[in-house]
Amino acid sequence: MASNEDETTSKVTDLASLEQFLSGRDNSVNNLYISDIPNVCKEYPCLLGIDEAGRGPVLGPMVYGIAFCPQNEATVPDALGCADSKALNEEKRDQIFTKICETSNKIGWAVEVIAPNSICNSMLSRNKYSLNQVSMDAAIKLVKCAVSAGVNISHIYVDTVGPPEKYQAYLKTIFPAYGITVAKKADSTYPIVSAASICAKVTRDHALKVWQFQEELNLTHEQFGSGYPGDPVTKKFLADNCDSVFGYPQLVRFSWSTAEEALKEAYYVECDRADPEEAATPSSNTSITSFFKMTSKKSVVKTQHEFFTRRCLSRNVEF
Amino acid sequence: MAIHILHGKSYILLIPKETKIHSVPFKIHADCDAKVSKYFESSIKVEEDKTMKASFRGYPLRGETIELPQGYVGIVLHERILPPSEKERKFHVIHNFKSLNYWNWDKAPTKNDKIVQAFEWIDVAEAVSSY
Repeated sequence: MASNEDETTSKVTDLASLEQFLSGRDNSVNNLYISDIPNVCKEYPCLLGIDEAGRGPVLGPMVYGIAFCPQNEATVPDALGCADSKALNEEKRDQIFTKICETSNKIGWAVEVIAPNSICNSMLSRNKYSLNQVSMDAAIKLVKCAVSAGVNISHIYVDTVGPPEKYQAYLKTIFPAYGITVAKKADSTYPIVSAASICAKVTRDHALKVWQFQEELNLTHEQFGSGYPGDPVTKKFLADNCDSVFGYPQLVRFSWSTAEEALKEAYYVECDRADPEEAATPSSNTSITSFFKMTSKKSVVKTQHEFFTRRCLSRNVEF
Repeated sequence: MAIHILHGKSYILLIPKETKIHSVPFKIHADCDAKVSKYFESSIKVEEDKTMKASFRGYPLRGETIELPQGYVGIVLHERILPPSEKERKFHVIHNFKSLNYWNWDKAPTKNDKIVQAFEWIDVAEAVSSY
């Protein structure tokens, strides 16, 4: 893991330094980056937009992004070309991201790169931690991070795929001091959300470009594709790179149905979920007819002392 | 049933080699070689308290290295020829080890885990048989 010293020295000021930041980090854990805070964002009340990228794909990280600028400079994101990010192509998004970095005196941003391994681990943990919860926590963490860096927030705009009312009420309980707007397609309505969306999407795209397999697979971005289940390159990657015992490298989200389906080709694995407490379930009921069975002899079953049964120890050789 | 455990060179029982053994909370329906270092050991992270974290097929695992009791050695057995009957089976010692990495699903190993408790029997057995 990178030390704190590294975190302060590697500044992201363009696409090249973004890639440098991403490739310098351990891609099996979450990583957070926050830009320098423009002085105007500390002085004047700010708008803050939140959006995510890469929620659906079976490969790679999910990235949460925030962008913020003073209310009195609200036209800045629009002027930089921040519009509906889904309508922009990759090249255009890269250009706008570069412009956001160049306008560091008026607009700031932050991203949290949520590792695919961390997504699987959450979804496959004992107390299932859903993707929605992972997402909300990432959004909250980023806002808190901006606050502690000195951003003077006045209103938060959030893009959501789910029902906005519930999410808005939840955020209001956490951040009662700020105005909060949660809306579907906020990305195309509010330029500051669009800026956040571009930061998230560009970070995700470049994270895939510089992905280094800790499993030492020599595959590049072109060989695993976008990660969307419909992408033929991704389909081929999943089919060709399935290890019969371990399944996939940690780039893949095992908990996705596409990956689960493809894993049927590998050896079947049963998870040992049994807990000692759960194992103590009552045995099946004795059928009533069994009381009427004729028995020729009384069978004496030797039972082992609890000391052994608790430890799953049994004697396999008779003396 | 008779089980024969064969070890060509008896010294291998005395000098354990650096063999890594992992006990994972999964039943893998396979009997084959596995790319353990490439796919599994590459994911292991050692925490400050010496416990370990890793992932298997996306499942979070927490683990610990368990040293075998003094005077004991672990052995890995291999049956070269499928036995003609259940009565006579021959196993060969192919590896031996002094410690094993024990993994739990999303839960740090504790002394309540069966494998850890099972080793207590060795001390108890020694105390019992010394009378």
